[in-house]
Amino acid sequence: MPPLSPNEAADALRDISKTELRSAKAYGYRMTSPHLFLWGAIWLAEYAGFYFDPHKSWLFSALSLVGLVGSFIIGWWMKGSRGTYTSWRYFATVVLAFLFVTALFAIIPPTTAKQMGAFFPLLVALLYCLMGIWGNALRMGVTGLALGTITLVGYFYFPATFMLWMAIAGGGALMLGGLWMRSV
Amino acid sequence: MDQPDPAIHQTVRLKIMAALKALPQGEAIEFVRLKALVGATEGNLGAHIGNLESAGYVDVEKDFVGKRPRTRIRLNKKGRRALEDYVAYLRDIIDMPNAG
Repeated sequence: MPPLSPNEAADALRDISKTELRSAKAYGYRMTSPHLFLWGAIWLAEYAGFYFDPHKSWLFSALSLVGLVGSFIIGWWMKGSRGTYTSWRYFATVVLAFLFVTALFAIIPPTTAKQMGAFFPLLVALLYCLMGIWGNALRMGVTGLALGTITLVGYFYFPATFMLWMAIAGGGALMLGGLWMRSV
Repeated sequence: MDQPDPAIHQTVRLKIMAALKALPQGEAIEFVRLKALVGATEGNLGAHIGNLESAGYVDVEKDFVGKRPRTRIRLNKKGRRALEDYVAYLRDIIDMPNAG
C-alpha cells in the first residue's frame, strides 16, 4: 500500500471532520424533531382553547404540564434506543427558564393575555435562533426566525385574532419545523 | 502505525466510520440515513459496511418495524479505537518534519 502524501492526509482529515459534523447535526435534528411536533400540537390546543374561551386560562398551565411530561417521555424513549440522551440537561433547562421567567415577570409584569401569549413564543424563537447560530444548525435557526416573525406579525397586524393566529401559524410553524428536521 | 489500516483506508469506509463516530457512544443509525450522510449508493454502502463488520469495527442489527425491514449500524469500541488510530496516523504524516 503506497504511503499517503501530506496533502492526501490533510484531505482525509478534512473529509472525516466534515462527515462528523454533518452526522452530529443530523443526529441533533432527529432528537429535536419529536419535541417540536409535540409542542406544536400543545400550542395549537392552548392558543385555540384560549381564543374560543378566554376564561379557561388554566388550560395554558395544564397543557404546558402535559407538554413537559411528554418531552420527558420522549427523552426516555430516545434513551431507550441506547443513546446518551441527558434528560437532566432538559430538566435543568426547564428549571432555569422557569426561574428566569418568574424573575422577569416580577420585575416587568405583563398586563394583558396577548403580551403573555407573545412573550413565550418570542423566548422560544430566541433560543432556537441561538441554538442555530452556536450549533451551526441552519434548520433550527430558520425555525426560530420564522417563529419570531410569525409572533410579531400576529401581535401587531392581527391583534383581534392573535390567539387564533398563534394557534395555527405558531403551532403549525413548530410542527413544520419538526417535519423539516426529521427529513435530514 | 506504519501502514494505514486497510479496513478504513478507503474514502467511503472512512466516511462511514466518521459518521458513526459522531453519534453518542452506542447509538445506532439506520441504513437509509447513513446512505444520505455518506452519499453512497445502496449496494456500495452495503458492501463497505460488510467489510467493516468483517473487520470487527461495526455491529449490524436487522429487525422489522411493522412489516418494514430495518438495518441499523453501530460503531463498537474496537472501531472507535481504530478510527482514532487512523486519525493519529494521518496527523503523523502531516506533522512529519519534511511534510508539505
